[in-house]
Amino acid sequence: MNRKRALIADTFCLTKRRRCAADSVTGESQDIRSSLQYLVTLFSRKLFNDSLPPVVLKHQLYSLHNDKTSVDKQVNELRETGELLMFQLGFDSEAFALVFAEDYRAKVLQGEAGRGTLGTVEKFLTKLIPSCSDLSFNKEKMLKEFLFTDSEITQLVKSGVLTVRDAGSWWLSIPNSGKFIKYFIKGRFLTLETHAVVVRVNIWALFLTGRKAVLGMVKKSKYGEILQTELEGRRTTSQVKFQMKYHIHDIIGAELVECIQTTSGTLLRYVDGNVN
Amino acid sequence: MLSFLYARQSGLDDPVRLRRAESTRRVLSLELNHNRDVDRIHGNGINTLDIEVIDGRYMLSGGSDGVIVIYDLENNSKKPQYTCKAICTVGRSSRHVHKFSVETVQWYPHDTGMFVSSSFDKTMKVWDTETLKPAEEFQFDGNVYCHHMSPVARKHSLVAVGTKDPKVQLCDLKSGSRIHILQGHRGEILSVRWSPRYDHILATASTDSRVHIWDVRRASGSLFTLDQHNGDKSKTSSEAVNTAHNGRVNGLCFTADGLHLLTTGTDDRMRLWNSATGENTLVNYGKVVNESRKGLKFTVSRGCSPEFVFVPCGSSVAVYGLHSGELITMLRGHYNNVDCCEFHPDYQELYSGGKDCNILAWVPVLRQPDIEDEETNSKRVKQSETFF
Repeated sequence: MNRKRALIADTFCLTKRRRCAADSVTGESQDIRSSLQYLVTLFSRKLFNDSLPPVVLKHQLYSLHNDKTSVDKQVNELRETGELLMFQLGFDSEAFALVFAEDYRAKVLQGEAGRGTLGTVEKFLTKLIPSCSDLSFNKEKMLKEFLFTDSEITQLVKSGVLTVRDAGSWWLSIPNSGKFIKYFIKGRFLTLETHAVVVRVNIWALFLTGRKAVLGMVKKSKYGEILQTELEGRRTTSQVKFQMKYHIHDIIGAELVECIQTTSGTLLRYVDGNVN
Repeated sequence: MLSFLYARQSGLDDPVRLRRAESTRRVLSLELNHNRDVDRIHGNGINTLDIEVIDGRYMLSGGSDGVIVIYDLENNSKKPQYTCKAICTVGRSSRHVHKFSVETVQWYPHDTGMFVSSSFDKTMKVWDTETLKPAEEFQFDGNVYCHHMSPVARKHSLVAVGTKDPKVQLCDLKSGSRIHILQGHRGEILSVRWSPRYDHILATASTDSRVHIWDVRRASGSLFTLDQHNGDKSKTSSEAVNTAHNGRVNGLCFTADGLHLLTTGTDDRMRLWNSATGENTLVNYGKVVNESRKGLKFTVSRGCSPEFVFVPCGSSVAVYGLHSGELITMLRGHYNNVDCCEFHPDYQELYSGGKDCNILAWVPVLRQPDIEDEETNSKRVKQSETFF
């Protein structure tokens, strides 16, 4: 080891760390790709009738790895090589969604099969996936660099690959994410009348209600804290559509709960002052 | 530690390396010490602290009641238990005291004969330390949030003042004039800082989410604005282009060498920038809780090998590694919100003041002395017994 390069702080024993009973899932591995693949398995495909590619939120990676800066760096590297696509989500300017490029391509083409817009969408995907790592496109870029016409742009917006950002620019988006249908069933105890109310919601609105419900579970526990293993074992209410582990990684990564290592495992404590 | 000593002795390492290693070790073991206390004079929260650069002996503090206090930090008694006494105060009974809360105080960078304070009573006063009377008073149109004098300037004595007005004003202490104005911001100026490397570079932060870097010798506008996305316009909505934060920017701090600039914002983020190019280094500190409506005063360590940032976060002070973004520890001890903190570079101590009217001293935990001599040890035991 070159003495001059070694960090001085490494030679000193830092804060006391209690040994926790269960290690984290990835242990010491620094590989982002394997963490992403693990998180992808937590995304429930069946819920959306298999019409969406598995989506992972970028801050879920922070719950699996300690060093946020290196996570960001590796994610950017994967985006540069065209393996990963990043999307801006509406609800938070800092929340980004990640999708593997092959999954995205497969699902989009599957959704477009048999429609007139298939050709345009394919052309867009071939331009986008290997080289471009932007989150939004403005009109100049679409017309000059990508050589699309106005009618083709309209077709792309209609198919869901682009959504409007403001006049003359568009966000890259995941098709079919706004079409999910939520059923409310209202019933009365005495009579057998039931009303089915159908509402069209965005998948992220569903996600946010689920996140709020999980945070509520943590907040209502005694002292506002709960062991992570216990939370995973709890039954999910009807508000929570995604898998519990998916939500847990999300609230840890977004720092909505504080993670404390104890001798019985990881403890999640609700952080006051949350907006959500 | 012994390896560092041996390497220094045999000439394998630079002398500076041992010094840095010991400073780093001391900062990593900062703790609240019941032996060190600071006199409690303020009746209301403490907004600002400043330790003078020449000796590191005297500390100024400004409070929400308009009171300014000077403390002596040096321990001249032979005992380990020591209270930093307040030597003099500009109290409520003084004729010249500020009418409202004092927001910023700063010693004159070249000697302790003078200090400058600015307050919400729309004035900035230049005080003579000997007589505790203001030698000069500058009136402004709006609340003064912050001011700063360049620590390295020899050719000019400009004080940069940030007020409710979007124009940054430069007051000259030599002539008393205030004609130099820097235009460019669109909101209140919450924080101003001169660079510790160049005497003409100034950074200003404002509620319009922008941070401008100025060269005061130029007649035209700012040199550049800090952009959190580094020019990548696709990442954000169109209104938020070219901003340093997604909320108000309320804290600025240069690192000791002046090469990097830290900014904190009400979007709960802290960012590290390259001060020469304005590039966001993208170090991710995570969520740095920031609810302050005025400026936040935070500080960076000096003389350690990985530098540390001390940021007030709610009622504790968070310590982060500067370039790694890792949260090292949270220093808990205040009963209410912490507003300011100041690092003493010679002794690696941290002083923090907050709304609970306390100034706490965080001192590196030293090892207990070894039992070398039966006699001297029993003397020590007798001494410590007299305290109880």
